[in-house]
Amino acid sequence: MTSPHTVDPWRFTGSFLQKMLSRAIPDEATHPTIPWTPLRKPLSECRVALLSTAGLSMKGDTPFDMAYERAHPTRGDASWRRIASNATAEQVEVHHLHIDTRYIERDLGVALPLDRLHALAEEGVIGEVAATHYSIMGYQGSDTSKLEQRSAPEIAAAMRSEEVDLALLAPV
Amino acid sequence: MGLVARVIEAAGISTVTLEMIWPYQRLVGMPRVAAIEHPFGRPWGDVGDIERRDAVLRAALDVAAHAREPGHVEHLPFRWHEEPEATKWHPAEPSPIIAMIKARQRSQPPQRS
Repeated sequence: MTSPHTVDPWRFTGSFLQKMLSRAIPDEATHPTIPWTPLRKPLSECRVALLSTAGLSMKGDTPFDMAYERAHPTRGDASWRRIASNATAEQVEVHHLHIDTRYIERDLGVALPLDRLHALAEEGVIGEVAATHYSIMGYQGSDTSKLEQRSAPEIAAAMRSEEVDLALLAPV
Repeated sequence: MGLVARVIEAAGISTVTLEMIWPYQRLVGMPRVAAIEHPFGRPWGDVGDIERRDAVLRAALDVAAHAREPGHVEHLPFRWHEEPEATKWHPAEPSPIIAMIKARQRSQPPQRS
């Protein structure tokens, strides 16, 4: 199957950000071996969880620490939060200094489409919506070690404990 | 996010990463990438656009169902409904790192050759 469209990654970034981000990306693949877990079931039997980098937290939970990033611009809060499966925009806070968060504050689904995921489960396209979904705050600056070595394994363990088959991750 | 996808996948859970800056794949090595031409902050579609959100979800699920090799990158066919000049995604004030870089540039103007 051929794709009719090659995504232009820089269409909306502006030239400043394009230059800044491009500098970090090599022309050829330099990554280590890619982990691989084949989907073991048909989608219609899979339990699916969502993960967003939007810095989402349930109201009443500890919000992501924006003061830390303001004080240390090359660092970002590396912690993670659980988001309830039935969460709505009214129940969630958004903390992220690199995007206009007002769209997510109006409609959580632009970053975490729980509403449509539930509809797809009802339709039988997927088996089930996981009880818990997840958020990190995507900007980590020059140090990704805490995210990689602490938060990501904790999120993976939480997903495993809820027997998630498939995770859909969306950076913002 | 790619790093998180790798850790989750290594823990035995399949992942699909919906990614605007898909060339990051060359740096990070994500298991499955669904590349999308949407602006920052609205990866699944615009406010209230249920139809687009539904279509992107189905497309991402489809990538999970048919990708057969680690590192699979699929370009999703969706176009954003506004031109870049009309698409507002920046925060009200520059992020701390951008403010820092721009302040440095102002204090150290590039030398002319």
